[in-house]
Amino acid sequence: MAEVILENICKTYGNNFHAIDQLNLSVEDGEFLILVGPSGCGKSTALRMIAGLEDVTSGSLRIGGVDVVDMPPKDRDIAMVFQSYALYPHMTVFENIAFSMRLAGKPKAERKKRVDEIAKTLQLTSLLDSKPANLSGGQRQRVAMGRAMVREPAAFLMDEPLSNLDAKLRVQMRAEITSLQKQLGVTTIYVTHDQTEAMTMGDRVAVLKGGVLQQVDTPKRLYEAPVNAFVAGFIGSPSMNLFEATLTGDELMSGTFAIRLQDAAFVRRPGLKSYAGRKVVFGIRPEHLYDSSLESGRKYQTIPAKVTSIEELGSEHIVHLNIDAVRVDSGDPDAVEDFGLASNAVAKFEPDSAVRSGSEIRLALDDTKLHFFDPETHLAI
Amino acid sequence: MIRQKRSHHRLKRAVAPYLYLSPSLLIIGLLMLLPMVTVIGYSFQNSAVLRRDPSFAGLKHYQAIFNDPVFWASLWHTLYFTCMSVVFHMTIGMVFALMLNSDRINPTLRNILRVLYILPWLFTAVIIAVIWRLLLEPNGVVNSVLMQMGIIGSKVEWFSSPETALHAVTFANIWAGYPLFMVSLLAGLQGIPKDFYEAADIDGAKAYQKLIFITIPQLMPIIISISLLDFIWTMQVFPLIWITTGGGPIYSTEVLSTYTYKLAFSSYNLSQASASAVVILLISLGLTLFYIRYQKAR
Repeated sequence: MAEVILENICKTYGNNFHAIDQLNLSVEDGEFLILVGPSGCGKSTALRMIAGLEDVTSGSLRIGGVDVVDMPPKDRDIAMVFQSYALYPHMTVFENIAFSMRLAGKPKAERKKRVDEIAKTLQLTSLLDSKPANLSGGQRQRVAMGRAMVREPAAFLMDEPLSNLDAKLRVQMRAEITSLQKQLGVTTIYVTHDQTEAMTMGDRVAVLKGGVLQQVDTPKRLYEAPVNAFVAGFIGSPSMNLFEATLTGDELMSGTFAIRLQDAAFVRRPGLKSYAGRKVVFGIRPEHLYDSSLESGRKYQTIPAKVTSIEELGSEHIVHLNIDAVRVDSGDPDAVEDFGLASNAVAKFEPDSAVRSGSEIRLALDDTKLHFFDPETHLAI
Repeated sequence: MIRQKRSHHRLKRAVAPYLYLSPSLLIIGLLMLLPMVTVIGYSFQNSAVLRRDPSFAGLKHYQAIFNDPVFWASLWHTLYFTCMSVVFHMTIGMVFALMLNSDRINPTLRNILRVLYILPWLFTAVIIAVIWRLLLEPNGVVNSVLMQMGIIGSKVEWFSSPETALHAVTFANIWAGYPLFMVSLLAGLQGIPKDFYEAADIDGAKAYQKLIFITIPQLMPIIISISLLDFIWTMQVFPLIWITTGGGPIYSTEVLSTYTYKLAFSSYNLSQASASAVVILLISLGLTLFYIRYQKAR
């Protein structure tokens, strides 16, 4: 077990493309850190550099206190779970798990003992003689985990290990991997583009965009206090609604509506006052927007909105709306998909909401949950 | 009425595939099955083809060829020629394929090598035979180079000496045939997921261990298929041997194909030639059945 420390890590490809720019990250011993970001953000490249499968252009990389930049992968004392699992199809489950021990010349009896132990932990005992082709997706995933565990490494590296599974199995495996990591206590770096995995699995989450680290924090802090509009939009599903407005006195003015801000909003964000009379980006999560007809008791402010479409999920309604405000792009390519052509906002309503597609409604919002960002830099205020 | 229509439709559906197959079946029947059956028939006749009413000879011609030491020598030469060819085709093909697949070689050089290595495949057997006759003649390039390097003391008559002739034709055949293996194995190598090697790198595999534990098992289906096909084809090689040595000197490069040809068209013993051809057919058939069974098992 060991801590993994990345200092000023850069990766530049031959065509001068900066895949990773000045990445500083410290993963504590036994910690479960998630690297998350949209496709092409450099998260897999960062993981592959830690594994030694990609060269580091500049910077320092230490695993367990040892500088590993010039070390081949096998000497770094890490194990990796690949997105494709990389199980050898001509070998049985036993042979796949025992492969690294076989390479290291460990005696047969020792191999068997260790593989049996791992198979028991992962409930693979009855499958040890099967070939990967005869296993289900979840079983293959477990074999890949077994192959990583057999080496008792200082750190686990996982590259989107659940992306090939169907939604139900993914939920189950998410829990299995998390509890296994807690049980083993091995430092783990886990790459995913799925922010639900990021929020539910890791002790801390590092959000990357365009090769630049945006924020590293606990899932709760990322959700509640994103450092910029990108993190705000990326974390949470559906994404946070971001709009442009003008701050006039204690009111946010946008089109035909105004939102009055409480004093507490200015106390918590002293910088907000300096935006008086200027444009500001405000954000509100879909779960903090309500159907006003159901929330009359809570005295939330309301704004006019037109319902464009509704997704009834049973436990909640995802309501696509159009409000009189200019939507701001968080810079997350995946977030754009949440909005249809006619809508610019998304809300999560209780399932007993009676709003219908096409109707004009009053949208209630919890103004204590508003987020504010600079319109130029998109940094949180 | 409806029932009649339905049964007519069923009949049409049942017959249609055979109708589509019939042209190819007819051609195969006429050009392959008929001659094959005729040759098998000849092998049981006295003075086949030469006489209008040949008499039944039983297994006489088979006995004759099995008692002929030249037949056994030809069989041995065929096996040697075939086995050496297949083994070296595969070895050389594998080495070149691994080289061409390596990202350590400059891509431009790799493309040039790819063209160079594939060249022997472009030549017909006649051209290959002529090239190697010229190269290996006593005053040819090979002798002169080997003598300059001090490997041989005097000029060797590669194709004319009974000690070297079989090795020389085998060598020429190896040179001519490796590109098929190279191209097939290269295609196979390019299909092996990169993850396998990366996972092995992390597990601490050395280059030879990756070759033994990943590359070769992954290529095994291709290796077995191409080896079996090559075995079947090489057993029947005729023009290369016929043009370089003609089976000589003193039968030292006689293989089953030249042995049969000589029986038929030098000695005009078509019955015995047919019996010899049937023996080749049976050996090829055995290998083919093995190949088909292997393909089915996959």
